[in-house]
Amino acid sequence: MTSRPLIAEVFMRGLYPVLLAVSFWILMRGHNAPGGGFIAGLLAVTASSAYALVFNSSEALRRLPLGPARLAGCGVLLSLMSGLPGILQGLPFLTHPWVTLSLGFFEVPLSTVMFFDLGVYLAVWGAIGGYCLMLVQALEEVA
Amino acid sequence: MALIPGVLFTLLLCALFFSPIPWKFSLPWVPSLAIDFAVYVDGLSAQFLVLITGIGTLVFVYGAGYLSGHPKCTRVFILLTLFMAAMIGAVVSDHLIVLFVFWELTSILSFLLVGFDHERESNRKSAQQAIIVTGVGGLFLLAGLILLGQIAETYSIQLLLERAPLFLSDRRLNTALGLIMVGAFTKSAQFPFHFWLPNAMAAPTPVSAYLHSATMVKLGIYLLARLDAAFSDLLFWEYTLVTIGTLTAVFAALQTLYERDLKRILAWSTVATLGTLVMLIGLPGHGAALAASALFFAHALYKAPLFFVAGNLDHGAGTRDIDNLTGMRHYMPWTAATAMLAALSMAGLPLTFGFVAKNAITFAKTHANVLHLVSYATVFVSGLSVAVAAIASIHIFWGRDTVPRKAHPHEAKGSMLIPPLVLASLGLLFGLFPTLIDPLLGASARSISPGFDPSKVNAAYDIVPVLEATIGTIIFGMLVYLRWDWLHALMDRIRPFETIGPEAWYRRGLEALPGLAAKQTRLLQHGSLPRYLLTMVAVVTILTIALFVQDSPVWNWPELKTLTIPVLGASTLIVVGGLATLFVYDHLVLLLVSGLVGYGSAILFLFTGAPDLAFTQFVVETVFVVVVATVLVRLRCLNPEKIIAPKEPLLRPLSLAVAIAFGTTLAVLVLLVSGLPFDSMLTDFYAEQSLPAAHGRNVVNLILVDFRALDTLGEISVLMFALVAALPLLKLVGEKRR
Repeated sequence: MTSRPLIAEVFMRGLYPVLLAVSFWILMRGHNAPGGGFIAGLLAVTASSAYALVFNSSEALRRLPLGPARLAGCGVLLSLMSGLPGILQGLPFLTHPWVTLSLGFFEVPLSTVMFFDLGVYLAVWGAIGGYCLMLVQALEEVA
Repeated sequence: MALIPGVLFTLLLCALFFSPIPWKFSLPWVPSLAIDFAVYVDGLSAQFLVLITGIGTLVFVYGAGYLSGHPKCTRVFILLTLFMAAMIGAVVSDHLIVLFVFWELTSILSFLLVGFDHERESNRKSAQQAIIVTGVGGLFLLAGLILLGQIAETYSIQLLLERAPLFLSDRRLNTALGLIMVGAFTKSAQFPFHFWLPNAMAAPTPVSAYLHSATMVKLGIYLLARLDAAFSDLLFWEYTLVTIGTLTAVFAALQTLYERDLKRILAWSTVATLGTLVMLIGLPGHGAALAASALFFAHALYKAPLFFVAGNLDHGAGTRDIDNLTGMRHYMPWTAATAMLAALSMAGLPLTFGFVAKNAITFAKTHANVLHLVSYATVFVSGLSVAVAAIASIHIFWGRDTVPRKAHPHEAKGSMLIPPLVLASLGLLFGLFPTLIDPLLGASARSISPGFDPSKVNAAYDIVPVLEATIGTIIFGMLVYLRWDWLHALMDRIRPFETIGPEAWYRRGLEALPGLAAKQTRLLQHGSLPRYLLTMVAVVTILTIALFVQDSPVWNWPELKTLTIPVLGASTLIVVGGLATLFVYDHLVLLLVSGLVGYGSAILFLFTGAPDLAFTQFVVETVFVVVVATVLVRLRCLNPEKIIAPKEPLLRPLSLAVAIAFGTTLAVLVLLVSGLPFDSMLTDFYAEQSLPAAHGRNVVNLILVDFRALDTLGEISVLMFALVAALPLLKLVGEKRR
């Protein structure tokens, strides 16, 4: 491609972090409202693919927090580890214990389930996003 | 190395002496499948154990001499030790499946030992043949054992034998026994699976003597003998065993005349003995059981030393061809003496253990009312074994030394002389004093034929009624021996008949296999994506329709709800998208149009109470369209002419028909399912439990991350592994393009 879509590039540079932020918000709200790790992960994949469309796949791959395989691996590992605290408490694997964190005026309920969902998010982003980007990259070299 | 079998043998003898059989104990092994490592040692097992460890000791001693200095000597001993362990496991186990596992282990070890000298192609082929024949037989055996276990409702052999009278009339029993017999016949080289055994002579001589004469090939006999206690009254069992056994014995006896290699001659005569053993197990009556155990023992005592003799000749004179071996007694006096002793027993001359066995066979036949044909066949087979014995002793060692030799033959060393001498002398000792071995034979016969009275063993040694038969066979055998060369020439002339034999069929089958595989691969893996899809959809459609037909469900049409505007709109979108795909040819447009179906579905989900699903559908559809569009654009840049739809005239109409059938089936299925009363148990459970148990309100997500978190973990692992598997491929494509 000889001419670069300048407006799209500028626009995309701003949109990418916003899309990721939105996906993270959807990940977090997933516990009580539509959303969750899987959808949020797919949204992140959309962000990456859009980035790859405007720039190119190598750029998009570079914007991933880790390499695709590592990202997916970390996700699975995180989900796996989130089951361990439950075991330590003598509960079955992947039983998620809850604690309430008091921050003065309001309380934040926390649980390992959050880590589990984060793991799903990363795994989906890494695996599906990585696959799409690599596929495009493999075909891009000649074009 | 000989220490292991030696110690085991000594321990076994002491144990047999001091503690009365049967011994039994059991360890849980795979409790979830009800497989126990159950051990049961009765007379039959004890007889096998004595031979496995006893002959094992001598084979190890002999092997140390035979293979000394060989670079892969250690390997043979390791394999032999493993083999011995597997054999012991097979004969002591009281569980059909455990028995099978050890059985297969012996096959694998036999394969490794036959292919020991793997640098020669013929050896590799022999090893392959051995494992294919016994392995295929093993599959039959497994099927038979499982079926038998199901019929008997137990896998314990002893329980099964006890319960046998209860299920003798079961219709499936003959199938089970037939399958088991195929397995046993392949293992024990019975017709038409006999051909692998002579070819297995590619193994080193100690291995041949141990595996392919004394122990492993008798495992099939062992199993048949073991089951004979329960099924000896079944006509199917009896007739098959007698027919196949006799046929094998006669066929193998004839085949000995083909051969000039002493080891192969001995191998064929082993096959003949195995056939006789199968025949004896098939014969009714207690006498046959005793004859089988006596012949089994006698055979081990004379055949193993003869194999050792063949090995010594190979070592000392550098050949096993009987044409080049005459008058060897001048060079190898001790080997000659051993061969004579063993041959006396093999010929069944009086005062040897072979004579005892032969008497027992004659005795068994006269008491079992066998067909005359079977009777003549055994006389013929014994006659030929007399001839073989004469070849192995008189011809080789006492004939006139006329053959010119390059190297001077020399006598084998002590470690290769003592084992055969010990065995052959034992054959003579037990012949002179049969009472030494009586208890073991009696106990063994009792396991084969439970009503046998061990005190009657002596009846078999009655010389008078069978003396004529003995003299007859010896005269016949000597005649064959004298005319051996003439017979050999005669057999050579009918050699073309081998092309219709089972071995030729085996070879043809093996040669046809790659072609067949290629054909079916080309048929199924044609590489055309539309045809793959067509096949899959057609199969699913047919299966679903078959289910409809089979279950003939109650046609319960659901009440139709009034259409709301969003649902109507979404449905229109889907229908329009679906129809449009039929008329669009450009791939990029096709992709966008099919995206309509996806978005339509997403809208439908949104307005029918599944926001999560709708959300996911929107995102998936978007990613899909974006990625595939990118790929398509690039592909079109690469090679535009290749993406044109394949020109197959039938494909489009056929696809249309299958698509319509599939769509209709699915529509009917959905309508039927919606017509059923809705069971809200699960929905209620999740709705009630989501807040108290999982602290959340989004049930869909809670199911994913909490209630069924392990499933999700599995799914993301699959995602990850799919990526890991795809990465190298994608990298490869990228590099090729570069």
